[in-house]
Amino acid sequence: MKVAAHIAVALAQAGLLVLLGPLVTGFVQKLKARLQCRQGADLWQPYRDLWKLLRKGTVQSDTASPFFQVVPVLALAATVVSATMMPVLWAPTDIVPVPLGDAILLLALLALARFVTAIGAFDAGGAFGGMGASREMTVGLLVEPALMMVVFSIAVVGGTTDLGDIAARRSTLAALSWQAPDLLALFALLVLIPAEAGRIPVDNPDTHLELTMLHEGMLLEHSGPGLACLALATHTRQLIVINLVAALFLPVGMAHGMSPVELAVALAAFAAKTLVLATFLGVVESSYAKLRFFRVPQFLGLGLLCAFLSLALRIL
Amino acid sequence: MSPEMATRLIDDLGALLLVTMLIILASGQLFRAIYAVAAQAVFLGIAGAVLAAATGNVDLWVIAGITIVIKAVALPWLLIWVVKRIQMCREIEPVIPISVTLAFAAAIVMLSFHLSASLGPVRQAVTGNALPVGIALTLLGVLVMASRKKALTQMVGLFASENGIFFVAMAVSQGMPLIIEIGVILDVVLGALVMGIMVLRVRSTVDTDIADLETLKG
Amino acid sequence: MTSSLLWIAPLVPTAIGLCMLLVRNPRLLGVLDVGGSTVVLGLALAIASQVDAAGPVSAAGILRADELSVVFLVLVGLLAVATSVATVGWMRQELAQGEMRADRLRYYYALVHGFIATMLVTVLADNLGVLWIAMEGTTITSAVLVGFHGHKHGLEAAWKYIIVTTIGISFGLFGTVLVYGAATHAQGGVQAGAMNWSTIVALSHSLDPGIVRIGFIFVMVGYGTKAGLAPVHMWLPDAHSQAPTPVSALLSGALIKCALLGILRFHTIARGACGPAFSEGLLLLFGLISVVVATPFILVQHDLKRLLGYHSVEHVGIIALGLGFGGRIGVFGALLHVINHGVTKALTFLIAGDAINRYGTRDMRKMRGYLGLAPWGGTLLLMGAFSLAGAPPFSIFISELMVLRAGIGAGHYVAVAIFLVMMIVIFAGLIHHVGQVAFGVADQTADRGREARWPLLGMLLLAVVMVLLGVCMPAGIDRVLTRATEIVLG
Repeated sequence: MKVAAHIAVALAQAGLLVLLGPLVTGFVQKLKARLQCRQGADLWQPYRDLWKLLRKGTVQSDTASPFFQVVPVLALAATVVSATMMPVLWAPTDIVPVPLGDAILLLALLALARFVTAIGAFDAGGAFGGMGASREMTVGLLVEPALMMVVFSIAVVGGTTDLGDIAARRSTLAALSWQAPDLLALFALLVLIPAEAGRIPVDNPDTHLELTMLHEGMLLEHSGPGLACLALATHTRQLIVINLVAALFLPVGMAHGMSPVELAVALAAFAAKTLVLATFLGVVESSYAKLRFFRVPQFLGLGLLCAFLSLALRIL
Repeated sequence: MSPEMATRLIDDLGALLLVTMLIILASGQLFRAIYAVAAQAVFLGIAGAVLAAATGNVDLWVIAGITIVIKAVALPWLLIWVVKRIQMCREIEPVIPISVTLAFAAAIVMLSFHLSASLGPVRQAVTGNALPVGIALTLLGVLVMASRKKALTQMVGLFASENGIFFVAMAVSQGMPLIIEIGVILDVVLGALVMGIMVLRVRSTVDTDIADLETLKG
Repeated sequence: MTSSLLWIAPLVPTAIGLCMLLVRNPRLLGVLDVGGSTVVLGLALAIASQVDAAGPVSAAGILRADELSVVFLVLVGLLAVATSVATVGWMRQELAQGEMRADRLRYYYALVHGFIATMLVTVLADNLGVLWIAMEGTTITSAVLVGFHGHKHGLEAAWKYIIVTTIGISFGLFGTVLVYGAATHAQGGVQAGAMNWSTIVALSHSLDPGIVRIGFIFVMVGYGTKAGLAPVHMWLPDAHSQAPTPVSALLSGALIKCALLGILRFHTIARGACGPAFSEGLLLLFGLISVVVATPFILVQHDLKRLLGYHSVEHVGIIALGLGFGGRIGVFGALLHVINHGVTKALTFLIAGDAINRYGTRDMRKMRGYLGLAPWGGTLLLMGAFSLAGAPPFSIFISELMVLRAGIGAGHYVAVAIFLVMMIVIFAGLIHHVGQVAFGVADQTADRGREARWPLLGMLLLAVVMVLLGVCMPAGIDRVLTRATEIVLG
């Protein structure tokens, strides 16, 4: 297939992730509300919030440098580019001419987005921004290597770090072909995704209480369209992580060709997997309390350890 | 069931046993540790059933059943009963930080796999990865006992440690003789009962955790 | 006929223990206790003479008596009789002082007999699984006995004891499973008696050395915990010092020897599978650590029973050293030391119990003039102490000399040098401690009552054996020990 076509498909998939990101957040919030016996805002609320923010003006701290204004754009851009790496509907079985889909690049871009956001939070000079940034980086320190190890553990079997390739190969195997390291890696990822998505028990997206903020603390100084960009980046990031689980462990139903039937099946599979994992996030969020921050390394340590063991077992 | 299938399933169950063990190690609450050790015993029972189906050994079915009844239901129930009875604080107090414990755990698991990989053809006598997982569980159980203060957490560590041994015992060439397994389980139950009674007696006489007593030294 | 004796031996104390649960009369309980123990000793001697005359006896592939187990069997029987005779007097005192409630008496006696029964199974087991089950059985029964008084200290010691030895013994089970796996692998499938020691030893040369090595390490740590080998001995001084006196005597005299027998069984297998160097090296290491670790604690100890507890650690270390030095002399010396230490340590514990009762304290700094208070007991205490310290003409001198000789013969000069230095230090420390207790003038508060007949009888029985084995070696014992040595050396 042509290079241009590949790029087009990747962009289309990224667009899908960006567009549906807020919907997943809306779904989790609705689910959470229902589990708490509340009516809750409807599914489309995150879109309305974004729309509202985009129309507002920007207020900026006096101490902020011009870089501060670029931060939201950079963060969103890094996230969107990382979304293009993700096989969503379509996993090609032939050799890919462009390295669009490299897992290392994907994780690096997500890390870059986190880094840029943290730098921006320092730049504004607010106390909470700095605190949130330092906390977020601490969490990142534990989550990122673990995610890397999970990806490597899977990549060792596939012999490639290309996510599309991995997904394509694994989707040809039965679900029972899971080996012991896969189970460990899956467990690690289930521990890690709440952290990566900025959710309970590691972070609480709904709070602006100073002591409990991680990610929100970093966004505190932003406003208007900038805040909208960062919020969209957060929604997208969450969906990317959800999709990473699906692509690594449950790549069933992905389209290999371009026929409408295949794509329809792939879309349905994508919806179903996202629904399941979003439900998981929502249920975890409603059934656990947020951990005290110094307990977080303990919790994430479990994920890190499982990821490490998964990789170790694969190599040994 | 084909031997390859059994090996794969035993490997998978071994991974689940490891995961439950790590949850016990990382958990900050006693109840979570107890539920994890119960889940571990359920996986152990399933492993027994898998091996029974694979080898056609009727004894293993019995052992799997006993394992689930005793180790997944009765012993956790005993632990929970004791916890409720003494109304103790349910937070686990680690002696060394949990993150350090987890680092130790990683080293132990690696060591077990390395040790087992160093063995020759005799490894075939044990199905799949049961040997390294068993060694790891046994040592990690000791790690739980060494790194926690409370009497009941020490019991949880002990049970987890024994689960590791049972796992290997099942996977070793069609399992140990039934009569021996039953004797071993009987000992485990009796030991657990005696420990439970001791915990209750100390709580009722001096109102402290038995593992906190430190009057005998030197 | 003889094979049924093997079944009867553990069944007798079990049955008596169960009967005791129905009896409330203290006098009748005492009679049952002494009678039962005597029957056990009789059975042990009967089995011993059978084995001596006609070689090893096996019962249904589960129990088996060979010369090696006979050594431990007779020791258990002898100590059972001596302690039960001593218990008669001890129990009267306990009841009089209100330490023991009359209505709980029967549980105590029943547990002691259960304890003896499990020890008998341990020494008679051929099936390594049965060996393990019985070994854990001894832990459970004796842990209850250690905490029997329900004191804070007793319960603490009992908890430490049960939790440490249970986890230790789990390691033993792991080692057993691994050796069993190696055996079935070598046989090419599960065959009858695949778990039996006699079967596995016979094919020990074809076992995979790698897995047996791992298995032996597990067993060494596991049963080593139970035997009180340092560095996994932490529970021993607590449990042995807090237990009721007769139980202390049984724990220190007999039980840790049973655990040693477990190690010996696997040592024999490992010798065949991996060559002698590996397991002997491990035994040597554990033995040396035990001797070295115990020494400072013995020197600074003020609690009489704890002193004896740490002393057990040291002597178990000496036995392990003898096995580690290897060779005929080393193993013979180690086995002789098993008997000698068992008898002597039981004796000293019984005397220590009496002394503690008289002074109302365990602190040796507050005990003076025991020799004046109790001439018999004081004399026996001094004899026991000199024997424990390794002075001639007592039996321990002989066995320690053999262990030393084996060490020199095997060229382990450094180990021998360390061993000798520790012996000298311990000799000085022990004699200093006991000398303080025995001589001087007793406090006014000390109990000056006449010495009770029954405990003295039990102690004298042990003292006679102790002295006898020091000055002469009966031909029968020599024969059995020689053959037991051959069994260990394969």
